[in-house]
Amino acid sequence: MIPNTDQALRNIAHRLMVSLVPELRSEYAMADGMSLGMLINVIADELAEGIQRRLEDITEMQEVLGSCELSEKERGVAEAGIDNYSLKAVNARHDELTSILIDWHEKSEADDSLGALNHAIWQYLRRHANRHVITAIPEA
Amino acid sequence: MISLDQVKTAASAFLEEKWEKPVAVTDIQKIYGGASRETYRMQLDVDGESKGVILRRDPPSSLIDTERELEYGAYARIFGTDIPVPEPLFLENDARYLEQAFSIMAAIDGCQTDVGALPQDERELLGKEKYAILGRLAAHDPIELGFDELMAVPALDKCAEEQLSYWESVIVQDEMHPQPIARAAIRWLRRHLPPAAQKLSVVHGDYRTGNYLFNTDGRITAILDWEMCHLGDPLEDLAWSMDPLWRGTEKHLAGRLVPDDAAIQIWKEASGLDYDEEAFQWWRIFASLKALAIWISSSEDHEHGEGKDSILAVAGWIMTDRQNRILLDYLAPAEVSV
Repeated sequence: MIPNTDQALRNIAHRLMVSLVPELRSEYAMADGMSLGMLINVIADELAEGIQRRLEDITEMQEVLGSCELSEKERGVAEAGIDNYSLKAVNARHDELTSILIDWHEKSEADDSLGALNHAIWQYLRRHANRHVITAIPEA
Repeated sequence: MISLDQVKTAASAFLEEKWEKPVAVTDIQKIYGGASRETYRMQLDVDGESKGVILRRDPPSSLIDTERELEYGAYARIFGTDIPVPEPLFLENDARYLEQAFSIMAAIDGCQTDVGALPQDERELLGKEKYAILGRLAAHDPIELGFDELMAVPALDKCAEEQLSYWESVIVQDEMHPQPIARAAIRWLRRHLPPAAQKLSVVHGDYRTGNYLFNTDGRITAILDWEMCHLGDPLEDLAWSMDPLWRGTEKHLAGRLVPDDAAIQIWKEASGLDYDEEAFQWWRIFASLKALAIWISSSEDHEHGEGKDSILAVAGWIMTDRQNRILLDYLAPAEVSV
């Protein structure tokens, strides 16, 4: 069996918020129950798309860093492939690249000749932020 | 986890000791959203007289690592001035009653915190009062109020730098993943430190929608949640109160109440202080960074702390996402498209 995990979580969240929470008597428990339901929906979205979003980030960071004169150590990290697509492994890879990106972002602010890199990093950060927008909880 | 019955029993025993009268808790409710303390509203029968109190108990872990003495001390020094706060009644550090330290304040009845349902004319009235109170707070001499007995007194030219260093340290300590936008914001803030504060003020530290009570006449009856209170530049609170995060979908209204220019004008008149646009912009970006630090910290707390309150996850996941986008709007070059 291959369960549709994200949909199953959304169904559980719906059940929690629509059937169980209204039956609660304490306002605290109702608010907590609704929050938990919304968080389950956030997790469902993350389960469905989270790894793909991180992989897109990783590809884009590699492209941005491709224009940098990386040290040997940095190059080793930046050019390494991924052989394990678990969320934990992809997160670790994402973190490694983000750390290098932060270092080069700082360098690009101090060196006028790296203006194009600075711009490319801001563009990446904007796309990254848009890619990871949480829509399961609407703005009040 | 402590039960409502345990809180009820311990609170009545504690208050009987303090007041030397029979005390019965006739109603108790836990209030959701108390991010730094567990909060309970209790109705009491004190020797035949009805009385409402709020009990705030330290949780195993909290959104903001603060000292309860500081918060309680702030209430004690502000109460009785022209800044409305609940009357502080007791601070108890002995864990024998409720397994954790706690404080008790008088409840203020018939009030609400949600401005969302108010018509615009009532929001304007509330906005005028909110920013007038903030102006009055800025005008007070913190030394005269006795705040120097409670907390560090920064030099006027160190207010910004010290706050930045503190919240940077929170991010460094609590980030579970590298934070490129927070790091960029910290570097920008370091490069553009504002001029010395024009005066030293009591900074509430979390002056925003949700942290004040108002009644049906549209009057603010209490400013709450002083746990991040400190001494510093009065522009800090003004900027924090106007962060985009507190606007919801009403992007043009500071704290969902009044337009920015109106809020600033009311604050200026009430405080008698100058408004420096450039310094204010620094404090706005700082406010977003500080908020981001709190959300990063709450995420860490949710994952590693003893408490698993859902508010920590809501703050850690959702607010981090939104605050990062706010900082991007401030810092990214204009030509970087949305």
